Amino acid sequence: MSMSGLLRTSFTRTALRRGLATEAGQVAPRLKTFKIYRWSPDKPTEKPRLQEFQVDLNKCGPMVLDALLKIKDEQDGTLTLRRSCREGICGSCAMNIGGRNTLACLCKIDPDTSKESKIYPLPHMYVIKDLVPDLTQFYKQYKSVQPYLQRSSVPEDGKEILQSVEDRKKLDGLYECILCACCSTSCPSYWWNQEQYLGPAVLMQAYRWLIDSRDQASKMRKEMLQNSMSLYRCHTIMNCTKTCPKGLNPGFAIQEIKKSMALE
Amino acid sequence: MLKSSLNLMVRNGVRTPLARSRNVQMSAMRCLSLKPNFEKLKLTPPPPGGVEGNVNDPLKKPEIDFFHGSYHWDYERITAVALLPLTTIPIYLAISGSGLHPMLDTALCCTLLIHAQLGLTSCIVDYIPKRRFGVWHQVAMLSLYAGTALGLYGVYELETKNNGLVDLVCKLWKDEEEELTIYSRF
Repeated sequence: MSMSGLLRTSFTRTALRRGLATEAGQVAPRLKTFKIYRWSPDKPTEKPRLQEFQVDLNKCGPMVLDALLKIKDEQDGTLTLRRSCREGICGSCAMNIGGRNTLACLCKIDPDTSKESKIYPLPHMYVIKDLVPDLTQFYKQYKSVQPYLQRSSVPEDGKEILQSVEDRKKLDGLYECILCACCSTSCPSYWWNQEQYLGPAVLMQAYRWLIDSRDQASKMRKEMLQNSMSLYRCHTIMNCTKTCPKGLNPGFAIQEIKKSMALE
Repeated sequence: MLKSSLNLMVRNGVRTPLARSRNVQMSAMRCLSLKPNFEKLKLTPPPPGGVEGNVNDPLKKPEIDFFHGSYHWDYERITAVALLPLTTIPIYLAISGSGLHPMLDTALCCTLLIHAQLGLTSCIVDYIPKRRFGVWHQVAMLSLYAGTALGLYGVYELETKNNGLVDLVCKLWKDEEEELTIYSRF
């Protein structure tokens, strides 16, 4: 068969498939039920409730975020959620889906339509509206660990501060954190002592700056954690590592801080 | 003009004695009140979202405190590791049938007591934090110290007048003495 013949058959095939796709109305809709937490600050006396939505999975993308946006577009425009990059790099769409803190854009919809999918905002946080939690304290805590390079001296040649390949490797698994707050809000210790305990996400960033070979403020950074609340409320529950949508290990990072502070 | 100044005078004149009387009342209340201050017993509810002050205010810096920081963690680990030989050696000795030196038994008791004290301190800091419970945190800590002191006295009694903790545990498996009166049997 010639090359053009091959092309022609593939064209006819795609044409056939297209033809079928336009008649897909006959395919039975796979209706999936989503139960979504709703609360509006406009009606503060109304109790929070779970609202049911049905989405046809045949006409929806594979991720939970696709379904949420479809509901927002087609069924209820007042449904409120944070989202931005839709590919798990901004950390905006962190929420509790099916009992697990994760990013809606990285969480696949369970194709089993007999089961309903429950979606809540991040647990134990103040809710601003629907799926939007108040993360003010979380960001304040992140600010308090001073997440920037601190040095008393700069290289004399006025160029960049060099780092060996091994030292750079220490930052792998730490710098990827997108601060979505999934781990912190899954930690029971953070639930009870949110005001003072820094939580896994922030502590992992504290560790990221502690082991950076270019940073010279590690003594001050460690002293900041020398009290009963900031760091030592971690009891290695490891919910943080289990829930992290990026597959990082905050529990290990916290343990490394504790180890480095043990002999001071 | 005259009217307004008169008004002002009257208002000032009224205000000063009022303010003075309020001051007098305040001090009198302080001097004469025999009521205890129950305000201290109240719990402090957490601020909304845990946020203290303005959104842009920096987080309140905790005081540097090594004894509640890394030292506490160290002592917890040290006592936990020390308990490993302190429990396995008495078990070995009890099985092989030889006696245990009272000093070793005392060491086991004290380490166990300190370990429990450190662990319970962590529990109190977790669930009865000073931030929220104020005086009740102190009450919990004091009762913990009292309990530990009582435990230490118990250890002293056990080691001087009895045969030590290990022997006490061993008695669970031994036949009881014949002349021993057990009241629940009557």
